[in-house]
Amino acid sequence: MMESTRAITEMILLEAQKSAEHIIQEAQKSAEDTLEKQRQRGVNKANEVAQSIFKKAENEAEVIKLSITADAKIKANWTMLSKKELWIAAVLNETKDKLRLLTQSKEYRPILEKLITEAGIILGGKELEVLLSEKDSALSLKLDKLAKEISEKTGFETKLRLSEEKPKVIGGAMVRTTNGKVIMDNTFDDILGRREKDLRSKIAKILFK
Amino acid sequence: MLAVLEAFKAIKEKHLEAKRIIDEATVQAEKIKKEAEQKAISAYEEAYNAVISQAEQEAIEVKRKTAEEAERELEKILSHAEEQAKEIEAKAEKNFEKAVDAVLNMVLQ
Repeated sequence: MMESTRAITEMILLEAQKSAEHIIQEAQKSAEDTLEKQRQRGVNKANEVAQSIFKKAENEAEVIKLSITADAKIKANWTMLSKKELWIAAVLNETKDKLRLLTQSKEYRPILEKLITEAGIILGGKELEVLLSEKDSALSLKLDKLAKEISEKTGFETKLRLSEEKPKVIGGAMVRTTNGKVIMDNTFDDILGRREKDLRSKIAKILFK
Repeated sequence: MLAVLEAFKAIKEKHLEAKRIIDEATVQAEKIKKEAEQKAISAYEEAYNAVISQAEQEAIEVKRKTAEEAERELEKILSHAEEQAKEIEAKAEKNFEKAVDAVLNMVLQ
């Protein structure tokens, strides 16, 4: 009797201990599962946010890159245009210097006469006044001969007289009606100014081809 | 008869002891679960922060790499511009007199 009772009680305790171990093991497993699920939730949620962080960084970086390269291209183009502009200005300055030299040469007089005649024809002849620089006024121009030429071209009797007014120009002439209402400016300065846009484009084509 | 009663008594005592063991285990199991629930909040935060921190580092790296690319592109553009500027200088020097003569012709024609 004693033996069988001991066997039963030992079995009861053994079963209880097994059950207790099982209860604790299950609790530990459940705890690990809970922690793992929460970790995974954290990772999943963070991955969503990380995507937007990454995308935002990529966009910002691209904008910065575009801005840097666009600035560089603008700067490079501006440098190029400035350099070209300097050369075009140098050509125009050199031309003015050569025109100044021309006004001191013997080839100048026929050129000046041609400019006066052309202006007189454009104005339609009749009573006209010629305005020349101080230096050109000293040249002994045959204004009567030029007036005759204008008369022939326009069909109107023309008279040319030298004005007292002395414009400060490189060379060439201004011709105006005696009442001063209409003026034809054939000075080198005005021709250069009038045709500047066209000249600049032609200079650029020749210089940089 | 006495022996039977003694046996019942012993079994009953062991039943009570067994119940106590299981009760203790149940209490301990509840404690483990509660601790896990408390740890779960910080586990979530730790995992979240680790991923975000990694993403932020990668974002910095992306910006750094793009800045380097932009720097290389910038140098390429400026170097190309420098070459073009040299070409402009060379052509302009070569064609300078030709351009001046052309302008003179246009003014005097």
